[in-house]
Amino acid sequence: MTNSINHTLFFPNPPAAVWEYLTNSELMELWLMKNDFQPVVGHDFQFRTNPLPQFDFDGIVYCKVLEMVPNKKLVYSWKGGPSKDRMTMDSIVEWTLTEKNDGTELQLVHNGFQNIDKLPIYNAMNEGWRQNMQKIHKFLNT
Amino acid sequence: MAQPTPDAFQVIADPSRRQMLKLLSRKSLTINALAENFDMSRPAVSKHIKILETGGFISIQGIGRERHCLLKQDGFNELQKWINYFDNFWESKLKKLQSVLDKRTQS
Repeated sequence: MTNSINHTLFFPNPPAAVWEYLTNSELMELWLMKNDFQPVVGHDFQFRTNPLPQFDFDGIVYCKVLEMVPNKKLVYSWKGGPSKDRMTMDSIVEWTLTEKNDGTELQLVHNGFQNIDKLPIYNAMNEGWRQNMQKIHKFLNT
Repeated sequence: MAQPTPDAFQVIADPSRRQMLKLLSRKSLTINALAENFDMSRPAVSKHIKILETGGFISIQGIGRERHCLLKQDGFNELQKWINYFDNFWESKLKKLQSVLDKRTQS
């Protein structure tokens, strides 16, 4: 089981160029979603995409810039749900840029979903745990 | 299998329910034994148990006269589906970013 999303990509561009695409609203729209992002800590902004009724998601991601180190790090909250009044998903998106000789390594971590990483059982949801659970079921059913 | 919904997140967002899941991860408990750990009315405990059961995080089994709460996989699978959705989402968005930056480099 995973409780966090982690992707690392290399770009043959300097960090400043990659940073621009992470923090300029118009450039962000080219690859991500329509948004009203501003590179200011504390700024509330939204991403807008198509609703996903099957996920009970209205297509609006509510975000707030939490941390920003130009060309190095960007963190924002990532919340959403069926409506503005019912945000059932609460998570954090974190971008880290590392300068390499010939470009930039970009790491994305999307985690903190309702703090499930702080729910030890979730981390323990591995095969061994499942087997234990089956044993318990068996024991109780005999 | 039910459709993945963020409701599974809502189920575990509540501190009391998280605590119940933690206790049940150590061992299965009767509803009475579980309730003893919480400073709340029995109806309040029952309501939380019902939400956990509906969300697929626990099952309730009658053994003798007692009703036991057991952890169940389904609720956790729902959470996993939602996380998998965003995993794929970012993978495709990052590919797009790469191609957008590629074009910029070439021009």
